[in-house]
Amino acid sequence: MSIQAYSMGKKEIKEVQSRKLKEVVARVYENSPFYRRRLKEAGIDITNFRPEDIRKIPFTTKTDLRDNYPLGLISVDKSKIVRMHASSGTTGNPTVVAYTKRDIDAWAELNKRCLEVCGVTSDDVVQVAYGYGLFTGGLGLHYGAERLGSKVIPASTGNTKRQLKLMKDLGTTVLACTPSYALFLSESAKEEGIDPKKDLKLRVGVLGAEPWSESTRKVLEEEFVQSAHDIYGMSELNGPGVAIECRKKNGLHVWEDHYFVEIIDPNTGEVLEPGEKGEMVVTTLEKEGMPLLRYRTRDITILDDEVCECGMAHARIKKILGRTDDMLKIRGICVFPSQIEEVISGFEGLTPFYQLVVDRDGPLDRLLVKVEVSENFKSDRLTEIVDLQKRLEEELRDVLSISAAVELTEPRTLPRSEGKAQRIIDLRKI
Amino acid sequence: MVKQFSIFLENKPGRLSNLIDLFERNQIRVLAMGIAEAGNYGIVRCILDAPEKAVEALRNANTAVNLVEVLIIDMEDLHNAVKVLGEKGINVDYAYTMDLGRIVIKVDDESKAKNALSEAGIKTY
Repeated sequence: MSIQAYSMGKKEIKEVQSRKLKEVVARVYENSPFYRRRLKEAGIDITNFRPEDIRKIPFTTKTDLRDNYPLGLISVDKSKIVRMHASSGTTGNPTVVAYTKRDIDAWAELNKRCLEVCGVTSDDVVQVAYGYGLFTGGLGLHYGAERLGSKVIPASTGNTKRQLKLMKDLGTTVLACTPSYALFLSESAKEEGIDPKKDLKLRVGVLGAEPWSESTRKVLEEEFVQSAHDIYGMSELNGPGVAIECRKKNGLHVWEDHYFVEIIDPNTGEVLEPGEKGEMVVTTLEKEGMPLLRYRTRDITILDDEVCECGMAHARIKKILGRTDDMLKIRGICVFPSQIEEVISGFEGLTPFYQLVVDRDGPLDRLLVKVEVSENFKSDRLTEIVDLQKRLEEELRDVLSISAAVELTEPRTLPRSEGKAQRIIDLRKI
Repeated sequence: MVKQFSIFLENKPGRLSNLIDLFERNQIRVLAMGIAEAGNYGIVRCILDAPEKAVEALRNANTAVNLVEVLIIDMEDLHNAVKVLGEKGINVDYAYTMDLGRIVIKVDDESKAKNALSEAGIKTY
């Protein structure tokens, strides 16, 4: 089964997608009152559905999931549901997603594939330090690693000292967690007197659930784990396992036999060409419990449909550049934290930890970027530091098209997190 | 030649106090100190009586610290010393006074400066 998935050619992928698109549209029409209404309203002809008709189907949004809380979007009889996960509902209702037995199985298979693409085998010891529970990260990777036959340590998040002890004593070779937690573990290891390169055997990092940059990869691969891979997913699309970086690390392969990807202009909804930056929209091709048509992920990326050097034909998305929700509108201009992270990474002596503070001075928005210096920061010549700060501000202005003030902070002063990093403080009262 | 500690600190109330507390706790004496500030941060430059212990204490406290070679001369030699340095084309980047009637000088070429001063019969510490 999985050998077949890896070796699928472009043509075969397109054929499978055409067939499955038609099937899923027919399936939701048949079984989901929500989608039947939507498809009728849009005038979609189910019987003569052609793949290109997908563009006529209205988008499904997170608001649709919330409005139909908790299970209004399922496409099977409730009796077939075997699992439900929910996202944190910071505003209003959480988003609930539901799985059938077959969905759980397919999801495990996708995570197994992802791990295999990273070079993980049944001989590996996989420490899953994503949260277990309502968050899909922990259980998703857990099932995948178990299906692969690896030795799984369901460490979940938190208790950093114990995480490190487990790594050392049980010989963890694969670490699955958020990139910010991997950075924190790496720092903490040194504080505990553990030299990761000598005392630990971390071969592969499977890091996802938040956008991260090449600079973070560089730090992690130099100091903590031999090979750091980005994994992509979200609970609405099962959870982790939607896309994965292969050994070439030139984009994340989307499992196109399970997910149909489009990139759209987030403002107009117009479908963009490969190579153009926009919001990723996904139609699930295999999900049974809660299939979604043209789901707006709010993640910003670029699609690359060329066959990868690794040999796999599954199209790639670039590392997520940001989220439409993380997108800060400052003085009318869209700013993504990832842009700022890339700028910071070009400077010596700074850590990947930063914080953005947006404030309002009269009618004008102000952006303050707090950047933490590392312990190796050159700290003797004031002129050099002033110069560095000035160059940072200039480069930020070039990249963002708005001015930002830079504030340098001492090492270990910006907040660390065990889950997703909180990097934005918006003090504007709008 | 003497090693000076250059420490990056945020320019906020209490930060300097934390630093001096750290020295006190580790029984490290400050022999000379100067502060340069720019906006929200500054550099504390100091000469400490127990450099090795200080390096360890500062590293453990995750401080951004650099060690810099500086010259220490007697205040009474100041006039001669700067004259010699000027004549040899050596620049004084910064200087600050120290206990015992001495002065700490950071130059752009430490070994050249040391030789020039010793040739002129000026004592360096």
